[in-house]
Amino acid sequence: MPNRRVSWVLLAYRLPREPSTPRSGLWRKLRRLGAAQVLDGLAALPLDARNREQLEWLAEEVVQAGGEATIWIGELATAAQERALASRMAEAAAADYRSLIADVVVARTEPVGQRKRTLGRLRRELRRIRARDYFPPPERELAQQAVEELGALVEETVA
Amino acid sequence: MRWATRRHCHVDRAACAWLIRRFLEAEAEFVFVDDPDEVPHDATPFDMRGADLGHHGGECSFEAFLRRYELDDPVLWEMARIVHEADLADERYDVPEAPGLDVLLRGLSMTRDDPELLELAAPLFDGLYEFKKRALLLGREPS
Repeated sequence: MPNRRVSWVLLAYRLPREPSTPRSGLWRKLRRLGAAQVLDGLAALPLDARNREQLEWLAEEVVQAGGEATIWIGELATAAQERALASRMAEAAAADYRSLIADVVVARTEPVGQRKRTLGRLRRELRRIRARDYFPPPERELAQQAVEELGALVEETVA
Repeated sequence: MRWATRRHCHVDRAACAWLIRRFLEAEAEFVFVDDPDEVPHDATPFDMRGADLGHHGGECSFEAFLRRYELDDPVLWEMARIVHEADLADERYDVPEAPGLDVLLRGLSMTRDDPELLELAAPLFDGLYEFKKRALLLGREPS
């Protein structure tokens, strides 16, 4: 099989220390996108039109907040480095899936009405994690199953 | 008048183009560019870095249009919430329509070029506008 590297879009940025609001806002948005923090001030996402656009807007926000930002397109020099980065991102997603599965376990013991509301919240959470999961770990399937089972349980008790 | 935006339109640009044709200029002509430097001097840029009609203060370009042109139609602001979430998914608004609209537009962008995408998306936004207008007048989901 030919060795095809993943292309990445990177945001290199520098923000003033104060005020801290833009900094924490940017951090939250990068996390929601599932970006890997390569270094302090350097975040990476697999390249596609949507990720590139999202990082371009974040770059604009950094500049508006008095910082500096540039967008880079690139790939890692070796397959080993690429695997390391991908598995770091997969591990971050896996941790999110695991905590979702723990929430499902708790939800199973909740009173019926509350359990139904929790199901809605956990389905949304699953969708959010899936949207930022570029290198799916095995936990993805487990979390999906756990939420589906909770859905079936809610159906049963309602019926 | 000519309007310029980036190539490979997604939901925010498609919604802005619809808004321009329906509410600002029926005969509007669109130019698609790769970079802000390529915007023709007689064209108004939107949904691009550095453009007034872009993302500001966490709002999307569609919201920027409504503010700039003082379009205070509550139906348009209702649509703005949907476009905002479909584009940014920052959960500022609770709009279940957004993930569906996002997928529809992303799918269209895979099979059609930009002018076609805007043509096909327009009746979709017309329908969404009509639905939201009736919902607002009735105070419930229209049937």
